[in-house]
Amino acid sequence: MGSTGETLRNLLTLAWLLPLIGFLVEIYALCWTHRLSKAPAYLAVGCIAAGFVCSFTALMTWGVQTDWVVFQSTHHDEHHEGDHHGEQHHADEHDAETAHVAEPAKTDEHHKHAEKAVASAPADALAATHADHAAEHGDGHSEEHAAKPTVFAGTFYNLGSFGPLKISLDWYIDSLTLVMFTMVTFIATCIHIFAMGYMQDELTEDYVDHEVHLANHEHFHRPGRFYRFFSFLSLFCFSMLGLVLAGNIFQVFIFWELVGVCSYLLIGFYVERKSASTAANKAFIMNRVGDFGFLIGLMIIWTSLGTFQFFDSVDAEGHTSQVGLFHLIRGTTGEMQLSADGQQVLLQNEVGELLTAGENLRSIPYWLLVTAGLGIFAGCIGKSAQFPLQTWLPDAMEGPTPVSALVHSATMVAAGVYLAGRFYPVFTPEVLLVIAYIGCITLFLAATIAVVATDIKKVLAYSTISQLGYMMLGIGVGGWGAGLFHLVTHAFFKSLLFLCSGSVIAGCHHEQDMRKMGGLWKKMPITAATMLVGVIAIAGLAIPGSQAVLGETFAFSGFHSKDAIVATALAYTKLNAVHGLLFLAPLVTAGITAFYMFRLWFMTFAGAPQDEHVYDHAHENPAVMTGPLLVLSLLAATCAIGGESGPLYKLLALSEAVPAGASTAPSSPVTIVLPTHGQVHAVHATAGKFALLAAGLGTLVAYLLYCRKALNPAEIGRQFSGVYGFLVDKWRFDELYDFLFVKPAHSVGRWCQGFDKVVLDGVLHGASSLVMLVSTWDRWFDERMIDGLVNLVGQVTGQAGRSLRVVQTGHLRQYVMWIAVGVVVLFAALFTALPK
Amino acid sequence: MVSPELLLTAVVFLPTLWALFTAFFEPKATEAIRYFGLFGTALTFVLTLIVLWQFNPELDVKETHAGYQMWFQMPWVPDWNVNYSMGVDGISLPLVVLTGLISFLAMLASWSIEKHVKGYVILFLLLETGMLGVFLALDFFLFYIFWEVMLLPMYFLIGIWGGPRREYAAIKFFLYTLAGGVLMLIAMLMLYFNSGRSFDLITLAEIGQGNIAEYVFSPTFQIAAFILLFIGFAIKLPAFPFHTWLPDAHVEAPTPISMILAGVLLKMGGYGILRIAFPICPYGAQYCAYGIVALGVFSIIYGAFAALAQTDFKRLVAYSSVSHMGYVLLGMGVWKISENADDAVYYWQMGVSAAMFQMIAHGISSAGMFFMVGVLYDRVHHRDLNKFGGIAGLMPQYTGIAAVLFFAGLGLPGLCGFIGEVFTVLSAWQYDHMLAIIAAGGVILTAGYILWTIQRVYFGPSYKGPHAEAIVPANSRELLVGYVLLAFAILFGVCPNLLFYEMNPTIERFVHQVDAGYDKALEQLQAAPPEGVETTWIP
Amino acid sequence: MDTVGLNSYLLVAAMLFVCGVVCMAVKRNGIGILMGVELVLNGANLNLVAFARYTVLGLDGQVMALFVIVLAAAEAAIALAIALNFYNNHLTIDVDRGSELQG
Repeated sequence: MGSTGETLRNLLTLAWLLPLIGFLVEIYALCWTHRLSKAPAYLAVGCIAAGFVCSFTALMTWGVQTDWVVFQSTHHDEHHEGDHHGEQHHADEHDAETAHVAEPAKTDEHHKHAEKAVASAPADALAATHADHAAEHGDGHSEEHAAKPTVFAGTFYNLGSFGPLKISLDWYIDSLTLVMFTMVTFIATCIHIFAMGYMQDELTEDYVDHEVHLANHEHFHRPGRFYRFFSFLSLFCFSMLGLVLAGNIFQVFIFWELVGVCSYLLIGFYVERKSASTAANKAFIMNRVGDFGFLIGLMIIWTSLGTFQFFDSVDAEGHTSQVGLFHLIRGTTGEMQLSADGQQVLLQNEVGELLTAGENLRSIPYWLLVTAGLGIFAGCIGKSAQFPLQTWLPDAMEGPTPVSALVHSATMVAAGVYLAGRFYPVFTPEVLLVIAYIGCITLFLAATIAVVATDIKKVLAYSTISQLGYMMLGIGVGGWGAGLFHLVTHAFFKSLLFLCSGSVIAGCHHEQDMRKMGGLWKKMPITAATMLVGVIAIAGLAIPGSQAVLGETFAFSGFHSKDAIVATALAYTKLNAVHGLLFLAPLVTAGITAFYMFRLWFMTFAGAPQDEHVYDHAHENPAVMTGPLLVLSLLAATCAIGGESGPLYKLLALSEAVPAGASTAPSSPVTIVLPTHGQVHAVHATAGKFALLAAGLGTLVAYLLYCRKALNPAEIGRQFSGVYGFLVDKWRFDELYDFLFVKPAHSVGRWCQGFDKVVLDGVLHGASSLVMLVSTWDRWFDERMIDGLVNLVGQVTGQAGRSLRVVQTGHLRQYVMWIAVGVVVLFAALFTALPK
Repeated sequence: MVSPELLLTAVVFLPTLWALFTAFFEPKATEAIRYFGLFGTALTFVLTLIVLWQFNPELDVKETHAGYQMWFQMPWVPDWNVNYSMGVDGISLPLVVLTGLISFLAMLASWSIEKHVKGYVILFLLLETGMLGVFLALDFFLFYIFWEVMLLPMYFLIGIWGGPRREYAAIKFFLYTLAGGVLMLIAMLMLYFNSGRSFDLITLAEIGQGNIAEYVFSPTFQIAAFILLFIGFAIKLPAFPFHTWLPDAHVEAPTPISMILAGVLLKMGGYGILRIAFPICPYGAQYCAYGIVALGVFSIIYGAFAALAQTDFKRLVAYSSVSHMGYVLLGMGVWKISENADDAVYYWQMGVSAAMFQMIAHGISSAGMFFMVGVLYDRVHHRDLNKFGGIAGLMPQYTGIAAVLFFAGLGLPGLCGFIGEVFTVLSAWQYDHMLAIIAAGGVILTAGYILWTIQRVYFGPSYKGPHAEAIVPANSRELLVGYVLLAFAILFGVCPNLLFYEMNPTIERFVHQVDAGYDKALEQLQAAPPEGVETTWIP
Repeated sequence: MDTVGLNSYLLVAAMLFVCGVVCMAVKRNGIGILMGVELVLNGANLNLVAFARYTVLGLDGQVMALFVIVLAAAEAAIALAIALNFYNNHLTIDVDRGSELQG
């Protein structure tokens, strides 16, 4: 059986590493080909397309392995709450390297069990019982075991180990991983192909950048950088896929930063433009602010739980050597076990028993777990451009449009949502509430700004932020599946929208202002049509009443996923009435979304041309660009087919680790109850109607304002100039942050510098001046006192000599005289003094 | 098996021998002298690699001399019990190899030195002897000798080949380090006269850890000795507030010397704390642990803020060194004693390992950054950040390497800086929540100043400063240095376990021994609190 | 006192000594002064020899006398050389004319 896990691992690892190899080869393109060669692009496309093939094969392999439970359960769509849970079965094989966490395989036979189990209590979806574990090993790797695992995980290699603490690079494959892999590689392939057309003008020795202003008012010339663009794209794909494949939260953090730096490189692709490099810096630093929180979350998890791994690692004998995070927190039932006072979360092992350390139960304080969850979520806020770190994403539109499509809408920014989903078992309801409110604020705030934006890419950027807010909201109100469902559908329609805008921009010779467009559908029919598909998808329009005819609502993907979120939000607010805003805001925003998206489409494609120059030069793009549009529009329309009983949702829901319907700890100041699937399903139809109504209204207003010109939008803007200016200034967040953080940081920096110069160096220089002073005194003392004394002795001696010289006459006979006299005196003295 | 006496002596003194040979060269034959010096450093590097190859981290402790491999001891000044004693373990080995590598690369970067090449090469080689000796010596006296020996060549290298304010910088460097050396000397003599006249670091550590019955370092004594040693090493590290020599020394030093300074010399501070201060004074270390961590965290933040305010490229990188070496202190200090957390010692082990890793990582990334600054300086002869721009278009390959090395300093995953920084921070939470959070905040500031620097220097449409005509793509010698550093930055970033594998057994032993040593000191203190030691001192 | 005793010798020697000193003090001729010196020395010699003969000094006194004789010879040679030089410089040997030794 291990073979399935290994196959999946090998396929996904190949898909993951191919772009890295591509990057290494492409970045040195000038060494093996010339600047005008398209070979790097072909290589990049080849790598990512091969990656898609691998991912898709892996998805199929996984489907075969699980007997296509996704499709078998589709006719049970009346029982949503039962579909995703089943009794625990386990079949996997262990070796030193890999550990597989079993999940229920929903053969028909087991499905009945599942329903029974659900009737009594929400069952677990992730874990294995230890009994199975042991039995299986007793069996000796029984291949014929009935149930088959749906989660595969293992370790690539060790980064470092310190006693019992180990940090490694792991892989973790469940249906979410597979869906993400397939989605990312597919969209990336489309965008790579599109980019071959879009970046065509870089295939030159002399690229003229009109956006760069030189001092001498000339245009800036540089060689084209076609190859570099594709190498960066490849590096990004590698990082993104690594993020999805990661088997521990630390590894997620590694690739989290790597996608961040790829985003930095791609936003700053036009390095000569000051605005581009500033936007790149802003993106990276804003993300780092989020990562600061992420790091705190990691520290708490690492210290309190001692592991980063999602899954249980198994040693060579088949014993669990380290229980994974999800089991530690949630055990096998998906429920947290709280201590009696509700202040501690007790840790559980892989069979749901409470872990002990010595005589005490191992536990983590509840508040610490909340903090850890908030910390990790702070990372998600940064990456997914949620309030209050949303300001970097619109600026990130400085990058080439394919980058915006791939990195800043479909994949990387969605990584925050992906992580929130992946890490869902560790989040407590309080954290989820914060997530919900952050999402709620973000989706409304961004939508309002999108209403007044005139740059076609900026509208889409704000719409991306808003949609990411929806996903966060969905996850926050307990709609795990709904949030991730929207992540996937959004990836398709938003990448489509961005590519369409790219097509428009390329067709209009890098004109991005919608006020200069209009009537372009005649010139660009394919772009206009595909973009309309995207707009309908994101607006969430559906044909009312089609459910009665077709058996399900006929709508494009966005409707289904947004519907799921709104329904969950409604169920949530029914259970927690104080949080009614969490339903109202997305509902209103659904209308605003429809309004600004149609506004975009009408301004661009409908009506009369606003700028003759732009209109005259506009043209439809070659097939290399429209091809991907068509493919993506097909998927944007159909990927969510069947809604919550469709294959995509079911596939995702298989990985749902925590049963819906948890509630907060009894000690918590606010009581929060999350809705169960049944409760959500009960309000689904109501919510759908409200959402559709809102979207319809929004569309209608847009049509009246921008197509029929019933009112002049500019006039309205003037009427409400205060609000309008506030929105155009993006709620003045940039100014606020500049005032609150950037300027103070520079001030503190200068202050530190000054402290070094004035205080520390001052002390040093003061000390050295003191030493100089002392040595001056020392010199004075030496010269005056010591030398003076010595000289004095010399002078006195000399004086004495000089005064005695008169005695020495030089007359020999006098000397003899004195000798004689002396002798006589001596004798006289001798004889008188000497005793007789 | 090469005899350890021969091998380690050769590692240390080969550069001296080479310096001696260099003295016989005709001073005008500069090219020959450079190649000869390069060959000498290359040979030394090969020798350090042989040490690496001979070293077996998995060797059982019983087969080593108290954990040291290739250990030997010969009497040197028997009257004072001074021995010529050397050996390697997992803590010194990576640093020895790093020294070999960085010296080689710095010599390769020395082609830009035009003045008195012969003197330069001789001093350079003597400096290398001093550095290797410090890392290999296992006798405190010998250690001290090498420590001071290394000082003089450095003084002249900065003072003669430096920039306009070189005398000032050289004297500042010299005085600071000398002050640290004096404190170390006092501590050394304290230890010497209280240990039955021993300079042997292994014996001293045994006494400090309470394993030798006749001699005891009392807790008060340990605290005093630790503080003296710590300040001595913290100056070298450098930690706030002893760091102001570093920016001046770096700014004035020629590029290769900056590489050595940042790449190797700063590591001596960290190495000294691990090799001498901690094992000999476990009680003192635990007593001061909070101060160490707080100082480390403060250095991280302070250095980052100060870097943000710089306009001199090299000064900025120098302050980034202050910030990055803060992580080293942080990792070493996270030694928490608590009754109900048995695994706290493993987090400390992680901290120490990460601190060691950070030293190596910083040795690679900061040497790389200084080299990158030097490459630009050689062309345009200024370092004013506001007068650069557009280098990416003019020197594309160089810019790529520089960006990766700067990102390594920024702590980007996949590059060496990440592992050191993040692992230290991860190990810090169990020690103190607040300090850990502040340290983690450093990631934002680091990103801020590094990205802003990259933007100002490399991005933008055109170069704004003087000597625009001199900006030519990097030559193959410069690319070679860059790529070697790049390769190591990526290697250690992707496979940090290569390094942890060499260090882990030693560090594991280290933390457990020091931990046990602290317990013994505590027992002794509780049994009979000596005069002057308040019982409230017990944490 | 029928035999010639020590005192006689000492008396003669003292007379010789005094003559020599007087000679040195009054003579202005350099050679004359030298002669005075010889007288003083020989007076001393006589004393020594006399002590050697009559007291326990024994042979030592005679040896001392021999020394003095040798010294006197050497001294005379040097002194004559000085005198010669003095003459060369001053064209006289009147010692009062030379005052080079004045301090």
